This record gives sequence, structure tokens and C-alpha cells, in this order.
Amino acid sequence: MSTDLHTLSGAYAVNALSHDEAEEFRKHLDGCPACREEVRELQEAAALLGAAASVEPPAHLKASVMRAADQLSQLPPLVTHIDSVRRPRWTPRILGAAAAVVMVVAAGIGFSQMQQDPDSHLAAGVTRVFDAPDAHIKTVGSANGGKVSLATSKSLREMAIDTNELPELTGEQVYQLWTITGSLPKSAGLLEDPGSGQFMDLPDEGIEVAITIEPAGGSKQPTSDPIVRVTPSEV
Amino acid sequence: MSPEPGLRLVHSHESADIDELLGRVARGDSLAFDALYDVVAGPVYGLARRVVRDPARAEDVTQEVFLEVWRKAARFDRSLGKAKTWIMTIAHRRAVDAVRRSESQKRQDHHGAPDEVVHDEPGEAVIASEEHGEVRECLETLTSLQLESVRLAYFNGYTYAEVAALLEKPLPTIKTRMRDGLIRLRDCLEGAR
Repeated sequence: MSTDLHTLSGAYAVNALSHDEAEEFRKHLDGCPACREEVRELQEAAALLGAAASVEPPAHLKASVMRAADQLSQLPPLVTHIDSVRRPRWTPRILGAAAAVVMVVAAGIGFSQMQQDPDSHLAAGVTRVFDAPDAHIKTVGSANGGKVSLATSKSLREMAIDTNELPELTGEQVYQLWTITGSLPKSAGLLEDPGSGQFMDLPDEGIEVAITIEPAGGSKQPTSDPIVRVTPSEV
Repeated sequence: MSPEPGLRLVHSHESADIDELLGRVARGDSLAFDALYDVVAGPVYGLARRVVRDPARAEDVTQEVFLEVWRKAARFDRSLGKAKTWIMTIAHRRAVDAVRRSESQKRQDHHGAPDEVVHDEPGEAVIASEEHGEVRECLETLTSLQLESVRLAYFNGYTYAEVAALLEKPLPTIKTRMRDGLIRLRDCLEGAR
């Protein structure tokens, strides 16, 4: 174990590392149970420090939190698994999300409560964004009676959509994803298996993402009104 | 409406209650989520206020924290620590993230002009509230450099490199002071229980 790396445990426990250093330190933690224990203890001390700064929030906040939680589905518990396979470099197009999930049992599973893992049904790349430390998550209703959750992560530069709760379509129809720049829609792929969701590069500021229902096989341009329209940079 | 200082007393069994509540939240119990909010909203919001300063943004951070807690409750593993630590760690990470995001936005807006860093609080004023005497007493066991390093990182959201620049000390010094300070705080708080 590198002594130099080890002394970063304090800075890591108070989120005082740069993004890259934190990433490197997390890798170090993978192979160092003593360091994990130290980080856990230092985080506990830091948490007590934070709790000592307690201030009651304004009363209206509670109703807003409760309302938002009511709209948000919960992640299932983890079953023995660790996502130790890093995705290769990100490609600019939407990736089909039916990638196989590789299960690897390794020492130190779940050393951190922040560890990310795929859902049982959502694709790994999708949950990776939802579980990103800086994820912003929003759930919106769809015009056809379902709902869609969208997550964006600036650190990953990705966004993901959980389309698990969209109503099932007939065999003649398919959900299609679009990015809309100004008023120009561009296909971002078909959601052939809404249960696994989709993930893609984080669109630039102001670009909208929309979902329409299209004839099987998809369309070049939307042939119906979007059932969902969101601006990821505002999530 | 201006928030009042937290006046809620911290009971010794509170931590166990939070673990139990989070267990129920993991099973989708919204009443437990409601109760959990009542117990930890003060610490979460207070920490967010200290880090991001702006009350409206602190509310946003608080909301994000609770939604993450709701969403990931089933992934909390109580063998790896206390529920309250888990929630406060999420709160700190989100608050720091919010403040860094806005700093980098400001830097872009000002064409790279560095922000003025405000050295705003004397060490002894880190914890103002009387009811957290234990934490305050333990903070007083830290050397002033340890205290400054921990405070600037934890409550101002600075990276250790920023803390080193601000205090005009070498990076390795700040790195070790931050760790030593937290270790001392941990040992003192453990001894106090």
C-alpha cells in the first residue's frame, strides 16, 4: 500500500479530493480493507461535525420532498454483485442497453455505500448514471399514463432514462427517443426494451429530449406528439 | 421566512431510531420516510446551509439528499456503518457538488477570474450551537492548522489543494493535517460517548 495514497483518507472522507484523485483513491480502497475502515470512521466523525451545524429547514420544504418522493420509484436491494467491469470509452451515439451484466464476486463487495450497481432489470449503463455521486434525477409523467425518470451526471457526462414504467405497446408500435435542438428533432434510437432503459451522452445546454410512439421500426421524423419532453440540462 | 437554529435535543437512542426508520423506508414505508425527514432534515439542511450558503440552494440540496435516500434506502448496508452517517455523507457530497458546480460556472462567466476567498470564521466559532458542546470541545483538541484544514474542506467545500493554497502550506502538510485532525476528532468523540 502506498503511504502517500493512504494519507488521502482524511481528504477523501470530507470530499476534498479532485474528481480524478477521488477515483484513484476509490481504486486503492478496493484492495485495502484497513483503509475502508478508516474512511468509514472518519466519515462518521465528519457526519457528527455536520450534524452539529443543524438548522431547521423552512416548513414548506417537507411537503415538497414528500411529494417528489411519492413520484419516485425505489432501487431494489443489491444482490451479491460488483460492477468491476468498466465500460470502454463512451461512443457518441446511443448504446443499446441490453448489455450483459457481468457478475463478479470480489473481496470487499460494497465497501462503500455509494458503490454503484445495476438493477435487476435496468441496464448497467443506466443505473450507473442514476447512482452517480452527482446524479440529478427527475421523474415526469408521460402523456400516455406512464412515467419516466431521467438522470444526468456531469461527472460522467451522461444521461440515462428509466423507461421501465411506460405502458406496454402493441407489437406494431415502438417508443422512440429524440433529441430536439431548437425545433429540430433528431432520432436518438428506439426503446425496444423499455424495461432496460437507455443511456447516452449528456446533451448540451438547452437541448431537449423527447419520447414519441412510432410505428414498429421507428421513424426518421416524429409522426406523433411527444409523450415526454424534458430538458436534461435543467434536471 | 428565516430558518431558526436547530433546537432539537439529540437523544442517545436517536441513531438507532434512524437505522430502524431507514430499514422501513427501504421497504417503501412512506410514514417512516416522513418520520426520518423530521429527525434528519435539520442536520441535512444545516450542513447544506453551511456549505452552499444560499438558503434556496440549500433547500434544493436537501431535497436531492432526501430523494437519494428514498431511492437508495434498500442499498444501505447497516453492517458498513450508521444510517445517519450514510445520510450525512450523501448530504455533504451533494452540497460540495453544488458549490463546486456553481464556482466553475462563475469562473466561466468571469473568464477565469479567480474567486475571492473569504476567510470568514475564527476556529472557535466553527460550531456555534451550545447543544453540540461535545463536538465543539473535541474540535478544540485539534491544532489550529488541523482545525482550519478540516473546517475549510468540510464546511466550505474546498479541495485539499485549495486549502493548501489558501493557507499557503505545502500539499502534503494539508493532506496529513486533514487526516490527523479527523482522526483526533474521531478519537475524542468516541471517548466522549
